[in-house]
Amino acid sequence: MRADEIEVRNSSGLHARPAALFVKTAARFTSAVTVQNVTTGAAPANAKSILAVMGSGAARGHIVRLTADGPDEDQAITALHDLFASGLGEEL
Amino acid sequence: MTSPVRLTGVAGAPGIAIGPVWRFDAAEPALQAAGRQVPNQRPADAIEAAAAETARQLDSLASRLRDLGREQESTIFDAQSMMALDPGLLDDAVRRAGEAGDPAEAVRAAAAAAAELLASLDDEILSARAADVRDVGARICRALRGEVLHLPAVPSIAVCDDLPPSVTAEIPPGFLLGIALAGGSRTAHAVILARSLGIPAIVGIDGLIAAVDGRSAPSAQPVTIAMDGERGEVVVDPGARVTTEFREREADLALRRANAAGLRDRPAATADGERILLVANIGTPDDVPRALAARAEGVGLFRTEFLFMSRQTPPTETEQVDAYRRVLEAFGSERPVVIRLADIGGDKAIPYLHLAPEQNPFLGVRAIRLAYANPDLLLTQLRAIWRAGAAARVVPHVMAPMVATLADVDLLMSLRDRARDTLVGTGLAVAERMVTGIMVEVPSAAFLAPELARRVDFFSIGTNDLTQYVLAADRGNAALAGLQDALHPAVLRAIAGIVAGADSAGIPVAVCGELAGDPAGALVLAGLGVDELSADAGSLDAVRAALAGVTRPQLDALARAALDAFDAETVREMAGALLGPARTPDAAAPG
Repeated sequence: MRADEIEVRNSSGLHARPAALFVKTAARFTSAVTVQNVTTGAAPANAKSILAVMGSGAARGHIVRLTADGPDEDQAITALHDLFASGLGEEL
Repeated sequence: MTSPVRLTGVAGAPGIAIGPVWRFDAAEPALQAAGRQVPNQRPADAIEAAAAETARQLDSLASRLRDLGREQESTIFDAQSMMALDPGLLDDAVRRAGEAGDPAEAVRAAAAAAAELLASLDDEILSARAADVRDVGARICRALRGEVLHLPAVPSIAVCDDLPPSVTAEIPPGFLLGIALAGGSRTAHAVILARSLGIPAIVGIDGLIAAVDGRSAPSAQPVTIAMDGERGEVVVDPGARVTTEFREREADLALRRANAAGLRDRPAATADGERILLVANIGTPDDVPRALAARAEGVGLFRTEFLFMSRQTPPTETEQVDAYRRVLEAFGSERPVVIRLADIGGDKAIPYLHLAPEQNPFLGVRAIRLAYANPDLLLTQLRAIWRAGAAARVVPHVMAPMVATLADVDLLMSLRDRARDTLVGTGLAVAERMVTGIMVEVPSAAFLAPELARRVDFFSIGTNDLTQYVLAADRGNAALAGLQDALHPAVLRAIAGIVAGADSAGIPVAVCGELAGDPAGALVLAGLGVDELSADAGSLDAVRAALAGVTRPQLDALARAALDAFDAETVREMAGALLGPARTPDAAAPG
């Protein structure tokens, strides 16, 4: 299993459009992927479920913890990390 | 090339539209039930197939919107498509359905639970998504039940006999340019919807269906029509010359609307400075932004039926508190919000109420009358309103529809007090008081106005139902369109009596029917002494402009003449004469 922590830096957090982009990316991998809002202490959420991801309530400035477990876990973590770093399709 | 055919109907909602026809026929297979239910299919398989079908529909909606350059709207359907395939949602639905449960009800419940979770996050953007999840649930339910709607594939003008609300709700924003009905009346649901969308609507157009269907060959392009919702004109196959004419009218209308919008920064008043409170009718909390943008000074009618319809179990108290609180908070303590208690009866399918079908539901056991035998529905609603008022730190206003007798008022007051008493001592906060009024829409209530006025805090006249009851003409019967005009002097005399009764007890009178949003009607009502006009947000600019152009002596004279008139047309002409032509600023003369 691989894990990674990163700060949410795009303006609207894991809402609506950024959440959709995040879930679409996570769904490309066969590994089980989770996202957890460390700042609010929410439980880990299935990163392939848009409802669970939006339900994590991750807003700008929150720290999220990503995990991936499976054959392509390295690629999954790298792709999702890069997505957060690039602002999830939004201005940083 | 064929020559244009001009038809006329009754003006429903103003605006100009030119576009291809989308034919809807309720009797034909556009809406067909029980198509694809497979016998003995496991609930899990049925849910999976329906979800996949729903996601495909949503994907294709999104891509069509993108092709039209409506990127922003398309992302809504993209996100909904992902929700339809959401593993958490589907697992929950499958679990709820079990081996033999009703898959549609399971999906609805799972979507409602997911929506409630998002709404509970206390985050404005995510609360808005809660409605999207519910909508996805409803779409999957329809797929499970085999109900298929063939929606317009390009932005179109709906041409039909009547357009039910369930169908209009399905048409994505931007795909409905206008509504042209062969049947229907000025108060048809489709017309109310058109006003709220800001698109034109015309009803009662004789010969419409034949003219349109006569032009369509199966393989040919759809017929194009042009419509002017203000004048009630439809032109089939308009051609270049008529198209230009309608585009000019469109520019003129835009100019008049801009002039009216320029008055928004002042409260509504007559030219000689008499204030008339101008407030909005809303159907759900989602209507609040439009009402605020139109500078509504409050809400005169918050319909609550949306909470009770299209579901298998009654809404919970908490769910209701949340909906009411959102609206009360948005308007704050300076702009009152009048919540109307559920107006439900035998004409609406509410499975959990087990209402007996009635021969004549509009004269049946509806609204407050239901509470004699079954008070729980209204008690829960009143408890939720007490709590929502406290949460939003405002004094909530409520009104009961369909009040016909003094006993109805006594029942309303006792339910209100019982609802509060059950909350005291539970630790839940309760509003300090509740301003309590009644809708006056039944002739008996109009006759009893002086006595009723001494028992309640305000009246709100529902002119749609009052008209149908006073003239004994079914609102939905197109053959009686001539008897459905609330400007009929008989209705106006009833209103004058209601106002006099209210004045004798010193309570205010509002009007929340369609008449209040019609500029001519608004002038007559103001003339009759109504204190408050409540209309759809899309009508407020025009009403504000109409009021600003007249004085109290003119309104008084209009009211006197209207009460003595013999028919509605005469009243409409007299009020129209006061409305005057559109003012055109010199700098912006139309080119």
